[in-house]
Amino acid sequence: MIKFKLNGRDVSLDVPEDTPLLWAIRDDLGLTGTKFGCGVGQCGACTVHVGGRATRSCITPVSAVEGADVVTIEGLDPNGEHVLQVAWRDIQVPQCGYCQSGQIMQAASLLKDYPDPTDEDIDGVMGGSLCRCMTYIRIRKAIKQAAAAMKSAENGGEHSHG
Amino acid sequence: MGKLERIAAQQDRAAGRGLSRRGFLSAAVGSAFLFGFAREGRAAQVYPLGSPLPPPAFEPNIWCSVAPDGTINVNIIRAEMGQHIGTALAQIIADEMEADWDKVKITYVDTDPKWGLMITGASWSVWLTWDLFRQTGAAARTVLVEEGARLLGVPAAHCHARKGIVTDGTRSISFGDIVAKARPARSFTPEQLKALPLKPASERRVIGKQVKSLDIPPKTTGAAIYGIDAKIDGMVYGRPKMPPTRYGSKVISVDDTEAKKVRGYIRYIVLDDPSDTVPGWVVVLASSYPAAIKATDLLKVEWTPGKTAHVTEKDILDRGREQIAHRDGGTMIFDDKGVDDVFKGAHRVVEKEYTCASVMHYQLEPMNAVAQLKDGIWEIHCGNQWQTLFLPVIAKALGEPESKVKMMSYLLGGGFGRRLNGDYAVPAALASKAIGGKPVKLILTRSDDMMFDSIRSPSVQVVRAALNEQNAIVGFQHHASAGWPTEVMAAAFMEKGVDGKPYDQFAIAGADSWYDFGPMRVRALSNDLAKETFRPGWLRSVSAGWTPWAQECFIDEVAHEIGKDPVAFRLEMLNGNGPEGRNKGKAPDSAGGALRQAAVLKRVAEKAGWGKPLPKDTALGVATTFGQERAMPTWTAGIVRVHVDRKTGVVTCEKIWLVLDAGTIVDPDGALAQTEGGALWGLSMALCESSEIVDGTCKDRNLDTYTPLRMPDVPEMDIEFVESTEKPMGLGEPGVTTIGAAIGNAVFDAVGIRLRHMPIRPADVLAALKEKGDA
Amino acid sequence: MIKRILGVGVGAGILGGLGFLWYAWYPALPKIDPPKASQFSAEKIERGRIVAAESYCVECHTRQDGHAGPTLAGDYKMVSPFGAIYSSNITPDPETGIGNWSEDAFRRALQLGVSRDGSHLLPAFVYDHFTKMSDADISDLYAWIMTRPAVHMTHRQNDFPLSVTPRIGLAGWKLLYFTPGRYKPDPKHDAEWNRGAYLAEGAAHCGACHTPRGLLGAEKLPGYAYDGGAVDGWTAPPLNEKNPTPVVWTENELYQYLRNGVAPLHGPAGGPMSPVAHDFLATVPESDVHAIAHYFASVDHADERVAGDAAAIKQAMEDSKRDLIGFNTDPDARLYQGACAACHYNAAPAPVLGRPELALNSALWLDEPTDLYLIMMRGLSNKEGQTGVAMPSFYNALSDHDMARIAAYLRRTRTNMPPWTDLDRKAAEARKLVEEPPVNSSH
Ligand code: FES
Ligand code: FES
Repeated sequence: MIKFKLNGRDVSLDVPEDTPLLWAIRDDLGLTGTKFGCGVGQCGACTVHVGGRATRSCITPVSAVEGADVVTIEGLDPNGEHVLQVAWRDIQVPQCGYCQSGQIMQAASLLKDYPDPTDEDIDGVMGGSLCRCMTYIRIRKAIKQAAAAMKSAENGGEHSHG
Repeated sequence: MGKLERIAAQQDRAAGRGLSRRGFLSAAVGSAFLFGFAREGRAAQVYPLGSPLPPPAFEPNIWCSVAPDGTINVNIIRAEMGQHIGTALAQIIADEMEADWDKVKITYVDTDPKWGLMITGASWSVWLTWDLFRQTGAAARTVLVEEGARLLGVPAAHCHARKGIVTDGTRSISFGDIVAKARPARSFTPEQLKALPLKPASERRVIGKQVKSLDIPPKTTGAAIYGIDAKIDGMVYGRPKMPPTRYGSKVISVDDTEAKKVRGYIRYIVLDDPSDTVPGWVVVLASSYPAAIKATDLLKVEWTPGKTAHVTEKDILDRGREQIAHRDGGTMIFDDKGVDDVFKGAHRVVEKEYTCASVMHYQLEPMNAVAQLKDGIWEIHCGNQWQTLFLPVIAKALGEPESKVKMMSYLLGGGFGRRLNGDYAVPAALASKAIGGKPVKLILTRSDDMMFDSIRSPSVQVVRAALNEQNAIVGFQHHASAGWPTEVMAAAFMEKGVDGKPYDQFAIAGADSWYDFGPMRVRALSNDLAKETFRPGWLRSVSAGWTPWAQECFIDEVAHEIGKDPVAFRLEMLNGNGPEGRNKGKAPDSAGGALRQAAVLKRVAEKAGWGKPLPKDTALGVATTFGQERAMPTWTAGIVRVHVDRKTGVVTCEKIWLVLDAGTIVDPDGALAQTEGGALWGLSMALCESSEIVDGTCKDRNLDTYTPLRMPDVPEMDIEFVESTEKPMGLGEPGVTTIGAAIGNAVFDAVGIRLRHMPIRPADVLAALKEKGDA
Repeated sequence: MIKRILGVGVGAGILGGLGFLWYAWYPALPKIDPPKASQFSAEKIERGRIVAAESYCVECHTRQDGHAGPTLAGDYKMVSPFGAIYSSNITPDPETGIGNWSEDAFRRALQLGVSRDGSHLLPAFVYDHFTKMSDADISDLYAWIMTRPAVHMTHRQNDFPLSVTPRIGLAGWKLLYFTPGRYKPDPKHDAEWNRGAYLAEGAAHCGACHTPRGLLGAEKLPGYAYDGGAVDGWTAPPLNEKNPTPVVWTENELYQYLRNGVAPLHGPAGGPMSPVAHDFLATVPESDVHAIAHYFASVDHADERVAGDAAAIKQAMEDSKRDLIGFNTDPDARLYQGACAACHYNAAPAPVLGRPELALNSALWLDEPTDLYLIMMRGLSNKEGQTGVAMPSFYNALSDHDMARIAAYLRRTRTNMPPWTDLDRKAAEARKLVEEPPVNSSH
């Protein structure tokens, strides 16, 4: 039995220790927002948060998250209203959408580390997340918009999500 | 008959189906009007998510319905793969119907013969549906106004519809109330439909307006369901063990001793495939996908490989060269009178050869499908772009009539033409069949997916121009050899050349350009070695992604040789003249002809500051195309600014300008997104990505060696659409078409080297600089 | 997992053994009835727990391969060139453990490397360090061990061929390399320093991994103390000024690392070092960890060298984003971007905690790429390194050649060290050290 927290709930799984977290989440725990792209940690489609940090779930064994806090796109914000999700919809970032859960999860980590990211920060961190539809221009724009929203929420004392 | 109708009719004939599916633009619509409320077929996907669809009270035809609460549902038979196509199509109906956009939902439907041709590709969707959906909307509006007027007790002529409400100016009633109270069921004959007055462009309220795409919100929360997310109780997981060659591999022996040690391993199946889609495949079944991955790795299979086991990319290109060198062979798309004479009498002939490398789809969602036999029907759950084409193939593989197979629609995690080819559904169906129809979810790992990809064939093109003493082009030839996807997968869809021979329009379109070159010969050759080695695929913008590489680079080469400005030189030839008046254009699709292409070219040159000085080793390059195909041109002109680093050979694209005339733009933001994506695909294929056939398959298996464009590679972009009320053309592909050649041309201008192989790699640049003597 | 502490030397040492009977002979000490728990005060047992944690007893006396065994019941596999050795059961079980050992016998084992029955113990049991421990600490440790649950378990037979020969042979090795004796405080230093040195040299036996061993397997002392060693295929980096990382291991870096498993600048503890922090040093008084950090900051002369750090960090921040910004067609840079940079990119002024900065991490600066390879292949669970976060395992995701490309690229662009050689082969060798692929991912 491997136990961890998924989106704030305790879950336990009877699967082999070397099971990739990706498939445990998708097939055993039934949350399909996290996607399988390359399977080798090079596209970012499977990005989830482990301990609040973006982590490629396709090559992370479930044994490595025993006891950890795992958050998927479904759990990023209870109402899907994380500043990034709002910006993503506003700018109409997704095309096919397949990469976007991973993009948003990666971007959330980016904003945590660099609340006011420069173009370089965005290149450096988001460069690992492939978008085959090439929505990159809009991803960049949406990240900046979300960062600005975060800042004004802070300044305005207004409560922001996530 | 439109081209697609013709194609559908051809396919029906080929399948011996008589007229059942043909002419869906008229027959299907007409008959649908007659069957009123009938609602067949489960809908797999409804957007926006949230409340389920209320029961409809009024279905003017199969394409849309109005519910008592005013919800308008539009049925979408096109695949959603990022183009927000459901939104654009619903905009067309909603506009003509005068619906309230906030009440519009879309449903991506499952296969059913009543839908007619289900295909999503070639940027056709909007163009193909434009007339039909406007007529549908008009019919609905007509009925709603009539019934609304009756309920209000005023003459229909005094009423009009606006934002989901019928009003005579003082009193009004909503669409929902009308259908709830009047339960209208009026039908229209096809003739009546066509006779309905359509709104003038000036009255459009939804078309051309910025709307929120209906499929986007669930794509930001993880709620969107793709083929790979399909789930059926009791399903087992499958992964193929890929044979060494695409064709002709035969299984000699299978040993699962090691595989058996994997917890969850169930069995292996050597597929027996009457459709010959997946020859030599072995599928491993397991209770979980990780178990299937591991067991497949451990399964030992011995094959006799097919005869292409040692074919290389160079072999294929050499074969193409050989074909082109022969005067005979291939199909003539243009073979104008006198073309041989002008070449014989030419003052000078310029001839160049251009090649393009293999390109892979790498759609982000690897191929997958779930298959099961349920209540006597084979259900295939997957994302697919051309259900009409592959449903019969699946039926054949299963040995069942087509009526026993049904494909359920899901979102596509990227299409780009890969899912026009539904081959991946066949092994899922066969694996399910082997276990008595129990549900099987077959997923290809990325390396499986890439090995099985229907790649964009490598290509060889030879372009020749005959020049007179005034250095004007007086004759032109364009010969192209590549693997032909349509020949392999949909032969009935091939067009006929001027010589009566069939050819793959998707392996030559783009060469049949709108320039006034004098007499032209355009010849397409099917590369047989390519066809034997792999299954050539349709890949975003198909041939228009590579024929302009040859033609538009060539025109630049000629311009430089004769000392003319590349833009001015092109404008001279985009004059609307040419043999048989073919460059004048024909309404509605190509109204205006080559002059519209000239207009976008002028505009882009103006925007980019063509001719202004730039820093050292930096230059602009230009190219222009008519988008995807002659019959439905999207007039496109692109300019790129590149910088070449002479030390490293790295070519950096700093900025892209694009101007496009695609007629009416239905969904402006969607159009922009498609063009942004297309342009970056063009850039990626010009500078970042390509594969190479080694030992019969592409050498790349994943992103460690296959390197599509990523975030930091993105240049600045400036994209503009010409304002127009002409019939809308497609936008999925045109963005791609000019970029490669524009970059090739810019590199020449920047550092004086001409590269004739795409992609351009730093090593090629360095080698060319060295040869030129100024590395 | 601290394995392979003893290398070739154990066997070789035996050769010199035979002439030293007089030296080598120890009597068997009498068996006692297992002491009762009530004999020991709670305070004493608690003090003993701390001593045990600072000596990592549990680590080497609990089975780890395959499934974890009962705590302290031994059967922990240590690989030597001569075959495997399995650690002994040190629970108070009278038959299979040490239940009938008196405190004297226990103390003699730690301080002299002699078993209760008088035979010499293999130096895999690091009595060359434990000999420095005070009688009081050993007494407390005895109390703790004797109050642990007794487990009846015999361990697997050593494959070690000479272990069946009279262990008396070991006496020769001991004569050459073993100097018994308690820790002597150095009056030149303050109490904290001496406390740190006492722990580091004694119970915590840092040199067992971090001091190179000579041909005969003993630590090369003096002269080479803390010059770096090898353990389980990993390189244990030098703890003195020879440590090659561009920023100094200051007292604070050391403390964070030892206490929390992650140093803000140097990154997380991986491999065999991870349990040292998480399972042991996280559970002892902070002051002891501070003392160890204080001691090593003096061993590596941090104060004298720290002035260079600001420039080194600045440089590392520059290097960190190299090739990630703007168009780049170097296939190795692209591979690094796809696989690693999303987590390892950093921007000035300093690395973000949780974003280990490779340009500052010792893995890139060591003479061999093994540590880099091992961490890429194994990844880190959320219990290792920085608690709560995990690093994926690239075992299936990157081929040997891909690993080699990344290693070469990072060495070339993030350090000023000479290039590593033979990278493909070394990747294949490192892969062999990972007994089971940590994750069953696709490729
Ligand atoms: S699927 Fe995990 S990084 Fe691509
Ligand atoms: S939106 Fe399709 S892959 Fe990114």
